[in-house]
Amino acid sequence: MARDEQALVELIEVASPWLLGITQSMLSDADEAEEVVLDVFASVWDRAGSLGDEHDTLMPWLLRITRNRAIDRLRRRARWKRKIARAEAFGEVPVGRPESAEFNEAAQPGWHVHEAVHAALDGLPPDQREAVRLAYFRGLTHSEIAAELSIPMGTVKTRLRLAFDKLRVSLGPIKDWVL
Amino acid sequence: MSAHDWYVENRAAFVARSLDPDEERTYRDHLLHCAECSAEVKRLEADLAWLPMGVAPVAPPPGLARRLASAILDRPAGWRRYLPYGLAAALLVAVGFGARDRAEGVRLRSLLADTETRMMALEDTLSVLRSAQHVQQIPISMEGKHGGLLIFRDSGSHRWCVILHGLPPAPAGNVYQFWFITETGMVRSVEVNGDTSRPAFLTLGMPPVPAPVMGAALTVEPAVSTSSEPQGPQLAHVTF
Repeated sequence: MARDEQALVELIEVASPWLLGITQSMLSDADEAEEVVLDVFASVWDRAGSLGDEHDTLMPWLLRITRNRAIDRLRRRARWKRKIARAEAFGEVPVGRPESAEFNEAAQPGWHVHEAVHAALDGLPPDQREAVRLAYFRGLTHSEIAAELSIPMGTVKTRLRLAFDKLRVSLGPIKDWVL
Repeated sequence: MSAHDWYVENRAAFVARSLDPDEERTYRDHLLHCAECSAEVKRLEADLAWLPMGVAPVAPPPGLARRLASAILDRPAGWRRYLPYGLAAALLVAVGFGARDRAEGVRLRSLLADTETRMMALEDTLSVLRSAQHVQQIPISMEGKHGGLLIFRDSGSHRWCVILHGLPPAPAGNVYQFWFITETGMVRSVEVNGDTSRPAFLTLGMPPVPAPVMGAALTVEPAVSTSSEPQGPQLAHVTF
């Protein structure tokens, strides 16, 4: 990746809708979500010289570190009940179809990947899909999910294990896609 | 179910980061010395690389890209600000010197990643050593050598740092095996089968069993053994 300021702006334009989707779904706070995304792009800029061989996998890397940093923030809060209350006030960020009338989601680069991932998630039984939504897209731990759903932790673990086994198969064909 | 089965069953949970924080630290420690789980976790991460895009994209606020870019570019000067230019220059030099140096660049990046991992492990070990409320020394004599087992227990994080020192190499075909003693029996933990001329530092989380841990033991076990009970001679056994 070239250390070009315009390239940085373009990368932010392409990736930020997805990264904001991840951080807002986990943090339920638009300002904090933006801070995490800023932090991620600053890391990209700081590592630009060492990302030369990884441009093909840049987007998955961005997705992963964004999610990890959002979870790190979430864990630092150590107040997940408060997060739930804030989520209710903020409104749920849906895993699935966006609803903004002004934002043309289908025109976003990467929409085809979103469609494929959404189809894979839709292929899960509802209880497993809900477990994945809470674990992967809301950043809750096993014990937090068990408390939220009022089910034994062993059941949470089983649902997640089965779900990820299926997702691994259904997402396998797209793992080498590039945006 | 052996202790390793827990790691196998929770690979996806580790990748998803849905393990509780203590479990996640324990898992990260395990990856430092389990090539099988390490490789499988990487494969799983690759298979699920696009899963985060299951979220709906969010419309960025107007002007976000310019605003973020300005915030990044206008950060205060400092060594971190200029470090990327050094890295970029180093990469350019590597490219200039051709494929051999390009391979060297890859090797150096891998070395840096390994170093970062080691640094995290050292910080983790140090945090247990500093927080430990209980320290116990168990002397061990073997083949004329006098060493021992030193256990630092941090009841806050439920983690131990175990130092094995002064022992001769394990007999051929055998390893030193560390065990947790619980109310319902022994639980296999890590094995030590390397250079015993220097102390071995092990940072351990509690085993994933419902029974509380009451003590620890060290035995000599066949290297191929996966038995859930000790089979070989016992060198140390301590209950708290």
